[in-house]
Amino acid sequence: MATTACFIIVSRNDIPIYEAEVGVAAKREDAAQLHQFILHAALDIVQDLAWTTSAMYLKSVDRFNELVVSVYVTAGHTRLMLLHDSRNDDGIKSFFQDVHELYIKTLLNPLYLPGSRITSSHFDTKVRALARKYL
Amino acid sequence: MATIDPLMTPLGQMLLEEITPVVMLISTPSVEEASLKNGLSFLQTLTPFCSFDNIDVPVRTASDQPYRLHKFKLRLFYASDVKRPDLKVAKEQLKQVITEAGEKEFPDSSSDLPEINLELSSSSEYQNTPSWFRFLNKELVRVASFSDHEAFDHPVICLLAVSSKDEQPINRFVEFFNTDKLPSLFNDGAMDPKISKHYLLVHDNQDGPADRASRILTEMRSTFGTNDCSLLCINSSVDAPFKHQDNPWASYITDSSSTPSQGLGCFLNMGDIDEIKVLMQDLSSKHIIPSMEQKIRILNQQVSATRKGFKNQIKNLWWRKGKEDGADSLSGPAYNFNSIESQIRVLGDYAFMLRDYELALSNYRLISTDYKIDKAWKRYAGVQEMMGLTYFILDQSRKEAEYCMENAFNTYLKLGSLGQLNATRCGLWWIGMLKARDQYKEAATVYFRICGEDILHSAVMLEQASYCYLLSKPSMLRKYGFHVVLSGEQYKKCDQIKHAIRTYRSALSVFRGTTWSYINDHVHFHIGQWYASLGMYDVAVKHMTEILSCSHQSKTTQELFLGDFLQIVEKTGRTYEVTKLQLPVINISTLRVIYEDFRTFGSPSAANTRESLWRSLEEEMLPSFSAAKTNWLELQSKLILKKHSQNVCVAGESVKVTIEFKNPLQISIPISSVTLVCKYSASTDQVISNEIESSMEKDNKVDHFRNMSSDNSSFMVSEVDFLLGGGETTMIELSVTPKEEGTLEIIGVRWKLSGTIVGFYNFELGQPKKNIKGRKTKDLPNEKFKFMVIKSIPKLQGSVHPLPGKAYAGDLRQLVLELRNPSEFPVKNLKMKISHPRFLIIGKQETVMSEFPACLRKKTDSVQSDLHANPNITSNTVFLFPEGTSVQGETPFLWPLWFRAAVPGDISLCMSIYYEMGDVSSIIKYRTLRLHYNVQVLPSLDVSFQICPFRSSLEEFLVRLDVVNKTSSESFQVCQLSSVGHQWEISLVQAPDSIFPSQSLMASQAISCFFTLKKSRRLPTFGDNMSTLPVRSNARLVPQSIEDIVYDINSAPLVNFHHYERLQQEVSYKGDLNTVDFVLISCPFKSSDDPGFSNPSSVMSHHACHFSTASTGPISWLVDGPQTMHHDFSASFCEISMKMHIHNSSGATAFVRIDTLDSAGNGGHMNSVNVVQSATTDNQAGWHDITPVNELKVTSNALETQPGKALSLESASSYIWSGSSSTHLHIEAMSSAEIPLQICVFSPGTYDLSNYVLNWKLPSNGQGDRDEKKQHSGQCQGYKYYLTVLQST
Repeated sequence: MATTACFIIVSRNDIPIYEAEVGVAAKREDAAQLHQFILHAALDIVQDLAWTTSAMYLKSVDRFNELVVSVYVTAGHTRLMLLHDSRNDDGIKSFFQDVHELYIKTLLNPLYLPGSRITSSHFDTKVRALARKYL
Repeated sequence: MATIDPLMTPLGQMLLEEITPVVMLISTPSVEEASLKNGLSFLQTLTPFCSFDNIDVPVRTASDQPYRLHKFKLRLFYASDVKRPDLKVAKEQLKQVITEAGEKEFPDSSSDLPEINLELSSSSEYQNTPSWFRFLNKELVRVASFSDHEAFDHPVICLLAVSSKDEQPINRFVEFFNTDKLPSLFNDGAMDPKISKHYLLVHDNQDGPADRASRILTEMRSTFGTNDCSLLCINSSVDAPFKHQDNPWASYITDSSSTPSQGLGCFLNMGDIDEIKVLMQDLSSKHIIPSMEQKIRILNQQVSATRKGFKNQIKNLWWRKGKEDGADSLSGPAYNFNSIESQIRVLGDYAFMLRDYELALSNYRLISTDYKIDKAWKRYAGVQEMMGLTYFILDQSRKEAEYCMENAFNTYLKLGSLGQLNATRCGLWWIGMLKARDQYKEAATVYFRICGEDILHSAVMLEQASYCYLLSKPSMLRKYGFHVVLSGEQYKKCDQIKHAIRTYRSALSVFRGTTWSYINDHVHFHIGQWYASLGMYDVAVKHMTEILSCSHQSKTTQELFLGDFLQIVEKTGRTYEVTKLQLPVINISTLRVIYEDFRTFGSPSAANTRESLWRSLEEEMLPSFSAAKTNWLELQSKLILKKHSQNVCVAGESVKVTIEFKNPLQISIPISSVTLVCKYSASTDQVISNEIESSMEKDNKVDHFRNMSSDNSSFMVSEVDFLLGGGETTMIELSVTPKEEGTLEIIGVRWKLSGTIVGFYNFELGQPKKNIKGRKTKDLPNEKFKFMVIKSIPKLQGSVHPLPGKAYAGDLRQLVLELRNPSEFPVKNLKMKISHPRFLIIGKQETVMSEFPACLRKKTDSVQSDLHANPNITSNTVFLFPEGTSVQGETPFLWPLWFRAAVPGDISLCMSIYYEMGDVSSIIKYRTLRLHYNVQVLPSLDVSFQICPFRSSLEEFLVRLDVVNKTSSESFQVCQLSSVGHQWEISLVQAPDSIFPSQSLMASQAISCFFTLKKSRRLPTFGDNMSTLPVRSNARLVPQSIEDIVYDINSAPLVNFHHYERLQQEVSYKGDLNTVDFVLISCPFKSSDDPGFSNPSSVMSHHACHFSTASTGPISWLVDGPQTMHHDFSASFCEISMKMHIHNSSGATAFVRIDTLDSAGNGGHMNSVNVVQSATTDNQAGWHDITPVNELKVTSNALETQPGKALSLESASSYIWSGSSSTHLHIEAMSSAEIPLQICVFSPGTYDLSNYVLNWKLPSNGQGDRDEKKQHSGQCQGYKYYLTVLQST
């Protein structure tokens, strides 16, 4: 389990639609905005990188000090971004794939408007469970 | 970009300027004195003429092929400056520069946020990066100069300047060579002290003619040699200060000196300047370059001799390997100036300065490996750095160049603080290199890496990094934003608040409009805080308001934000006014405007009830709309137009606005002085002019918000204070009461947050989405908030009391409707309508004072009087209050109402009272008062009935009553069961005591009890109208001794409620006289003491209607005969006579046929088929085939009789019908007939006399045919009748 891990889903319009701190480290007050800053800045890199490969999993794309940003881009250009400080490439990949599946299930919900914030508590629980399992 | 000459790039230019030969200048005080007359030091005087743009000097270095230098530059330094610059001084200077830049570039607070111009990236970086960056970077490079590990800063020549005024100038020249005056570089062995010298005699022309000077020069020439001496005459412009068109010194001395640039060099005329130029050019081309060439050649030879060639390499390698163990210090071994390593480095640097880059590179390469093996890391890094630069200038291998730079950078960093300055310089060069190749992204990462421990330094570097991201293609705005914020944070740490604000503001332009909430909050919060620390509270507040509704933040952060915000607002020292304050959030979709024109509301809940509901309720009462219109046409035709476009309200009556306030935070916030902002104008005919005005108004809307609060003479607004807890949502009702006629417009709402900050919310007009529910849907949106105020008219106030909020089903109450009219004008023509007559009915005025429930009890003297009470008195039509009823003044008008909780559930009762004004001058002729109440009805007793006929007698039935107490705690006393129906009389089977031993029905207790129901014996006494008038009969379930009360089912409320129950429970048997209704009267048991319901005298009634007694059809019959007979069979067979009573309970004449079937042959095998056959074989005219439905019924009947057959077979004897086998008869409606039957029995035994079939038929009428359920004909199997015949003795 990673000590710091911040998971965020960014819609194609660059709007965060889901955020979760999934690390075990005690939450610091300023951590939330720092994580957002790093992830937000990493979008620039993703923008360049996403079109250079056909793979959805882009591995780690950016780093800030010891924090690494791994990104998974879905076909609809929704970006699953994970800020982490652990080196567990396989785990992160599995995590992304499973969350992608969950995200698709959310999309299938006719009451969910694509691109809107994911407020489902079930989704949240599942994502956290996956984070515990893989990260 | 590959075509760009590396030397033309910024880095190349810089290298050409910075890595140039150094001339060490030593001068006497009198020389300085002379030049200071011009406001310049001697060094400054010479400096502008040290760079030569168009010289043409042939150079020949190691190779034989000479080449030409066209541009050349010298760097002049005083001997005292040839040393490592003082770090502290440099830092102070840097800090000052940054602070000054901060002041200069501090954005105007009122200016808009800078827009990021995406075009920027296409233009040169120098156009958008602040100029002080360049200066700063230059300073940082300079700080690292004069290091002992590199040779290009080592002076190439020493320029010795002595004034002609000096005593013994020759001696002065010699004195300069006291080694203690020389820079440390010469003394610690890093540099060859035997430096070539040039002797300069300076003559000030103001001191007199140059005779003495030329004399001294001759002396000098004889002493030091002809070539190394020269004379310089300055200050020739004696008379008037010389004005230079473009002052050559101006660009060199800009910052520190206070002298105006105009005065610089005022005593130097053109001749002097030319002389200086010639001097410097000679110095460079005749002395410096040749001496460097010579040194290169000498060194090259030495290097070739010792290091080149295979043999030397092997030797060198072996020699160094052996040396390895000894020297392991951090800086590596100290290299003397005459060590071969130093010489190679000098060779390389000299070659670099003379632009023989190939030579330089080969030497750098050579020395690089040596230093590496020697672990002389600093020197190694220095050489790598130079290699990188050489590669860059040669434009050969980019990869190599970058590799070298990175290597050098990393090596410097490894040295820690020792190499920090060099690392910075190296990084800057590297960045320059990357920038030259448009690799801005990489440059940004290098900037990021340069950030050292020094916070200010790193702040500047981060900011530069952010600009690099902006310049990269495609520009990386988000990276830019992030790094700008990082840099801002660093600026803040070293108290450069203005820089911090500047950077954050530029970050804001990136983050504005994004939904990355934490980022937005962070940026706005800090800008706000910093502005506040600068005392610019207005701007601070502006930024802080952006973050107030931060529902995603933690509670502590929210507290911090709000606390800081309030603190800042407090510091402004006034109540701050914000047009769109986000705290609390106003849910505009909940906005509702409630006003009373002809509709008035008794309670808020009435106003919240749907308008359509009221419309349908009031439909019958109101005069039709068109009629009303005609009246107005006649009276005030002008007003019609207005009526279409404007809402009407009455002066003195408040217009209410409800709106929802939501607190998005987890902490509670105090809200005070919530008021409506309104505008009043006295004239009423502003319909047209208002539209013109409206455009104007929009411009100064905010002014309205401010002004209106004080100007409230013509209307009154309510003020609400409340505390919104964390996450709470509150519905707030605000009201405005106009006092005079005119036009009132509601503009918005204002409130005070925490008593200091005033927020406004403008009910934005013209917003298409706004929907004011149902109340009014006008075309012009701004008309929705505009009211025409008319003069005061009477308004009724009404209430119903005591209407319970909760009641048990069946609860019967007497209520009073109370109407008041506070105004002095009377109202008349009152009408009323109630939405649920099943629950609420209107009583009679005389019963207002009567006692309840005593009035329901049967009084001996008035039994008959109520009997003819007409239940139709309260039909669905409008109730008209008696003629002449008028409500006025203080005395309330009372009217009784009856309430009965008919069914469990939540009931919303609506009542509407119509009244007309006595005064006709107003546009509003009539008004309606709408009352609305909610009643929750709980289930109490569950009552069900079952009726089956008695077999023993005709027209007598057994009634089973099941009562279940559905409540959880309440006990009830079941008092009385009454039957309502056609001539029915009910009586108990058991004694009441045996049914209710405890006299009450406990919670969730169930009981059953039985009653007999029979035709009333009093039937003849009621005369002709008996068929239409239901007869009531009561069975008391309470023992006589306890209570001596009988409730009168015919009393007014009960009979009326029963009427509505009948309507409600109506089934298809309409007008069937065989149905019976039951009314069960109960009351809460006396012992119960629940305050919510305890009304000891309350009565509950449960109505169950339309129970049919005729379950088998309209025909009932009874076989009447002996049960047991004694007969002497030895004498003869026995003949028994019996009678059959047949009763027709239907309303028409019935045809009945009785077929007796002998059981002799096939008694045991009789089945329905036979029955049918026998029926058809009779071939009677007027008889029809039986419908299959009926046949089925018969079948079931036949099956029922099977056991009986078995019994008769067992007895092994049979009987025969001895009368006629088939009897026909007509029976009149509601009458009975009697037919004789006779059987013959041949042996003693028990006989079942059910072997007969009764067919009946009613004449079908049109109505009946349509009603499927109603039977018109039927066949009934005879029911069992056992007859025992015994042998008589």
